[in-house]
Amino acid sequence: MLSRVANNLFWMDRYMERSYGLLNLIKANYNASLDSAATSSWQGIINSYLGSDEVNINYDESISIIDFIIFDTNNNNTLINMITNARENARSVQEHISREIWLSINKYFLDISNDDFYKSFRKKDPIEFINGLIQYHHIYYSVADVTQERGNAYCFMNLGKYLERILQSIDFLNVKVNSLKKADNDLMESYFWKNLLVSIGGYQLYVKTYKSIFNIDNIIEMISINEFFPRSIKFSVNKLNTHIYRLEKFNKPESNNLNFLTGKLKNDLKYTNIESINKKGIKKFVDEIQLQLNEISNEINRVYFYQNNL
Amino acid sequence: MSYSAINQIYNQYKNTYDEMYAENGTIRKNYRKFSKLLKKLSIEDLNSMSEFSRDFFMNQGVTFTVYDDDQGVEKIFPFDIIPRIIDYVEWKKIENGIKQRLKALNLFIKDIYHEQFFLKDKMIPAELIVSNPNYLRIMRGLNVPKDIYTHIAGIDLIRNESGNFYVLEDNLRTPSGVSYMLENREITRRLYPKFIPKNKVLPINNYPTLLYNQLKSLSGKKKPVIVLLTPGLYNSAYYEHTALARLMGVELVEGNDLVSENNYVFMKTAGGLKIVDIIYRRVDDDFLDPLNFNSASVLGVAGIMDSYRNGNVIIVNAPGSGIADDKAVYTYVPDMISYYLNEKPILENIKTFKLSNEDEKEYVKKNIEKLVIKRTDGSGGYGMLIGKDASEKEIENFIKKIKKEPEMYIAQPTLNLSTSPCLINDKLRPRCVDLRPFAIYGSNGIKVCPGGLTRTALKEGSLVVNSSQGGGSKDTWVINS
Repeated sequence: MLSRVANNLFWMDRYMERSYGLLNLIKANYNASLDSAATSSWQGIINSYLGSDEVNINYDESISIIDFIIFDTNNNNTLINMITNARENARSVQEHISREIWLSINKYFLDISNDDFYKSFRKKDPIEFINGLIQYHHIYYSVADVTQERGNAYCFMNLGKYLERILQSIDFLNVKVNSLKKADNDLMESYFWKNLLVSIGGYQLYVKTYKSIFNIDNIIEMISINEFFPRSIKFSVNKLNTHIYRLEKFNKPESNNLNFLTGKLKNDLKYTNIESINKKGIKKFVDEIQLQLNEISNEINRVYFYQNNL
Repeated sequence: MSYSAINQIYNQYKNTYDEMYAENGTIRKNYRKFSKLLKKLSIEDLNSMSEFSRDFFMNQGVTFTVYDDDQGVEKIFPFDIIPRIIDYVEWKKIENGIKQRLKALNLFIKDIYHEQFFLKDKMIPAELIVSNPNYLRIMRGLNVPKDIYTHIAGIDLIRNESGNFYVLEDNLRTPSGVSYMLENREITRRLYPKFIPKNKVLPINNYPTLLYNQLKSLSGKKKPVIVLLTPGLYNSAYYEHTALARLMGVELVEGNDLVSENNYVFMKTAGGLKIVDIIYRRVDDDFLDPLNFNSASVLGVAGIMDSYRNGNVIIVNAPGSGIADDKAVYTYVPDMISYYLNEKPILENIKTFKLSNEDEKEYVKKNIEKLVIKRTDGSGGYGMLIGKDASEKEIENFIKKIKKEPEMYIAQPTLNLSTSPCLINDKLRPRCVDLRPFAIYGSNGIKVCPGGLTRTALKEGSLVVNSSQGGGSKDTWVINS
């Protein structure tokens, strides 16, 4: 497989995963705004997803903010621009992805860039509308699962997907969990931590595992090292490791450093529990993972995406 | 009650052959069965079929990009749902004519890059060849695999008021449109579900397999690595490049994905560098190799021509093939057919006047309102003057340009392109069409895909069918009627 193609596949899934995360976040935040204006700041989302500098909007007006996050074509990180990028990547690798993946991502792009679709936004309940968008992602994931052959392309797509997912979980721990500690008074308000968990898709599992009792350690444990939660760092690192291992078998690169790096991260997490995280401090724990990820990401670039001449 | 679309009045153009209706308004033999089907359909039916086809192309991503103020807008190629139907007997003649022509053109290209008998026998003025920008010196004396230069060709044909087909242009460099031919059939088989198998419309869907096999036959290797080289996402034919790569199962590469070292061409893969054996390039000669041709090109691969000259990679079509599809050289194709094959041309050329010839130039000046003047290096409908539509001032300016470089211009009679019914604004209306059949030349001989791409002008009375100037297309059926 061409290095350029591998890179485009990686970014196709990275954009899809990132926009999926963004949609879940704005849905949870809008939901929270229905309970209490104080706890549903849009500033955080704008900061971590869109870069806040040039944004000049009224933060009290949820609908305009959602409109901006989804449809503004001037900011590179809005949903519409990420979907356009994902689709451009797909367009250039059509002979490597299943026809069904192409059709599903092209349909998403055509719909979201259609004027009538945009007009329907203001007429609908925002959660219904966002659910409609999220549905495109669910179709995309399912279609990829049932139609894409498990070769190079599938692995590069998954590298993009899981790397992005880990970064989102890290961001969640860094920003959200840190802010939790400051806002002790609000914590017992059930809607607050409920919305928080909903935004990362972990509310159901949390209640099943820890019952309806809020405890910050439980949240940290679930997001970092729960083996069965598909958005936990541990789960995603294990997946990353699987695909890196497969890629090494397919492409036989000169060094096995990449496999070594992800294997190491995987094992570090294997022997981590909530006590050891607390002992180390959440910030240091997260920083160390971030550092290892940077190394892995550079190595993926070096080994697979940029080939030197003879 | 809605009435049948075919019962409405159909206003034929004057002095023009219509593909479906004879002059007296009766339906021609090749359209009879189809017209029975049309009778059952109302305009509403046809309109909804039309809408379905637009959605189909959009959802499949069958689009091309138009640039306006640097903003790329993706559009679908306008498609008309009424097929153009050609009788099998007539098609056989076209097919044989194209094969004959391509054979002669290949012998001509080989000759002028080797012994140059055609020049020595004064069959063509030497300066027309050696001073031609499409003549590549680097190809002199080089033996190309199986002596084939024009592996992929698209021959533009038109039918004039006499009802005969004529060759308008030979496209021997990187002819495009074959993916639209394939997609048009994909949609008509859905629009007319029972008709196509029942009437044994000749199939075209094996084109990608045929192309792959012909490409493969050029290499001595059992499993040669074949790639399709595209200028990239911003090229207007990008859809076609992705479609052909996907349908053949070959890698779609850009210039940056390839590197030439030690006279071999490699592609940069996730598993390291891999040797490439055959390149089906959709990049023009000029941009192919910045070391040997246009040094500003970023679309090609530096040094690729050296690998080619060393026989380590096969480039399809061969560089330098453009010498044979130049508009000035076109006038000599009938002579090539008799010179190299000792045969009479099966398909005729359009009468063409060379403005470098004094007598012919005088004739052109006197009869300009009946003629179209074209630059020999122009294409896509640009750089031409239509005598009957031009103002005196425009004609005057054009004649001045001709005086400066007469050998760069030719003139042809204004053509009455045949028309075919098209669904336009709730009615079937005649619109001008041409026909571009696609031929593949491999070591197993020449294969012509039955039918081809029928291009249609969309404006009333217009002769311009080029997609770059707003033309559309329709499916082409070859039927044994």
